[in-house]
Amino acid sequence: MGRRDLSVGGQRVNAPLYFSVANACLRNRAVLLYGGMGANKTTLVNLLGCSFLSLGLEEVEDLVISGHPEQTEEKIVGFLDPRQWAEPSPGPARVLWTGWARSKWKLINEINRFPGGKQNLFLEILQKRRISYAGQVLTPGDTCYFATMNPEFSSTYPVDQALLDRISACVPATQPDFLAGLLLAERERDVRELAEELPRFTAGEFEALPGLVAKKALKSQVELAILCLLRDFTLCERAPAYDKSQLSKAKPSLGLCSGCHYWNNPEAVCWQVDEGLSDRVRQDLRAFCRALAFLLDRDADLQVLRAVAPYVIWHRVTPLPSALDKPPYFGAGRLAYVADLVDRSINRTMNERAEMNRIYSRAMDGQMDAGRAIEELSLFDDPIARMDFIASLEQRVK
Amino acid sequence: MKLSRFMEDAYQGTAPARRLKTQSKSLIFSLEDLADLVGSRPRREDVEQYVSEDRGQIEMLLSVPPARKHALLWGYLSALLAERSEGPLKLPGRDYAGLEMRRGWIVLEGAGSHLGEKMSGGRIIVQGSAGECLGQEMAGGGIIAAGCSDYAFRNMRAGFGLIRGDAGKFTGLGNRGGRIVVQGSCAERAGWLMHSGSLYVRGDAGEYLGLLMSGGRITVRGRAGRRAGWRKKGGMIAAAAFGPEAAEDVSKLQLV
Repeated sequence: MGRRDLSVGGQRVNAPLYFSVANACLRNRAVLLYGGMGANKTTLVNLLGCSFLSLGLEEVEDLVISGHPEQTEEKIVGFLDPRQWAEPSPGPARVLWTGWARSKWKLINEINRFPGGKQNLFLEILQKRRISYAGQVLTPGDTCYFATMNPEFSSTYPVDQALLDRISACVPATQPDFLAGLLLAERERDVRELAEELPRFTAGEFEALPGLVAKKALKSQVELAILCLLRDFTLCERAPAYDKSQLSKAKPSLGLCSGCHYWNNPEAVCWQVDEGLSDRVRQDLRAFCRALAFLLDRDADLQVLRAVAPYVIWHRVTPLPSALDKPPYFGAGRLAYVADLVDRSINRTMNERAEMNRIYSRAMDGQMDAGRAIEELSLFDDPIARMDFIASLEQRVK
Repeated sequence: MKLSRFMEDAYQGTAPARRLKTQSKSLIFSLEDLADLVGSRPRREDVEQYVSEDRGQIEMLLSVPPARKHALLWGYLSALLAERSEGPLKLPGRDYAGLEMRRGWIVLEGAGSHLGEKMSGGRIIVQGSAGECLGQEMAGGGIIAAGCSDYAFRNMRAGFGLIRGDAGKFTGLGNRGGRIVVQGSCAERAGWLMHSGSLYVRGDAGEYLGLLMSGGRITVRGRAGRRAGWRKKGGMIAAAAFGPEAAEDVSKLQLV
């Protein structure tokens, strides 16, 4: 049930469902379901938890922490065991970890209802994969992280950019459409009964899933397209070391690109987004391409990358408002805008960039003189050729 | 794995595709976008380079009143659209309409300043009165207006201008060619520094008519003001009547 809003080649599937299942097949990745109230975000993750962890719905619901301004670290991760002070010879401090902290299935509900200070707690957990409290450290092991987020309501807080970068994929969850509403109206059983009927994974099967996903090999095309995609978003002629992630106050949206050679060239991505992409994006793209290919029983090819990449990137970047505000995006189609950028980058890599990539590779392998390669590459008007390839070959010539 | 093998594997023997294209034109939605590419004081060739053959794009850009700094861009676009239109193009009266126009027709109800500046072909018809610098530096084509303000047809080199009513000061200043007809009267210093071409005024002309002119022909069927032909070095002025201190070679026009 639900809109089939994710197209992978010819296959159309429901994005929140498939990304959530893909995340359940991976470890130490985080999927953020983004949408308004009643879009079944939490229910979906809880039902999947029942199936993958072989638990009852109530047990899975206990593994959820929900955001509100009075939420404390003690309620989230654990607290000092008071019984230790009544013991005659107290040893090292003992912490009573919460079920959420110990679980390998963590749902952070309404993450943007946590104030900024509390959000930093998740930043640490997602970054280090460890939970620390009162000098004690809990290592829950490989975990599936989920989060939900509402649009910016009055009682919500902005989500930290660094935290968003730790979110592997952000998937919009929409309200049930007409047909889904009809099916829901006809269904007499409630969600608890549905949860009981779901097939259950054994613990062994659940543990084996990441290994099965890892067996899916990524094609060279996909690896190359991912590399170029990251460089397309990150390279900037005017940034220090050509790295857009070095920018602080000067940004494309603040006039950095005015008069630049690439400005207003739709083939170039650099001027269209403010932020560069971190290496986490590369890891997330590779992991989710594999997982989705595994779920759909197909090769991890460019079609999969085209489908996955917008969801992995769109929450990490801020598109140029003057471009996003125009039709067909109308200021609201941020995911669609990023999807167009991704498409253009992949098309460019697989077509126009073929010649320059080959020249560079031959020069790097010593099959071609580096000086001549620089000369030939200088004829290509492409950020990667100019700022990456030529720069690295120049180092070689020196 | 060697990098070249990785690349060959990625492209799987596909033939090298075309070279990378830059400066595609599809993302120009406003005059601001265009100005980002060509600057606010561009050449016509720069604007032509970025505007597609699609009339719809130019119409969209012309539909919004331009900011003052984008008036030149609006002017170039109006000329480009007129050249690509089969019939007369009706436009709102704004500054620089028909800038460097080469062919086509533009019809305006009223006009701002600099209408038809540097045009070299085509026709511009203004149903109302035009502003300053009408047809400045014209090199061809023609402009017809009900009236105009100062500096009309300044430095004109060719083409014609017809003012059906009155013209302002300094009409035909520094002309080197072309024909100007004013069916009403024109104010002072018409034909100032005129080198060539002709100026015909059916009504009266203000003072200092043909001041310092060195060539061309000025005909006034009404009365010229005082000091007509003052310090003129050549050319011809004929008027039905003229005020005091006129140059010696100003001739009296015999009306039939």
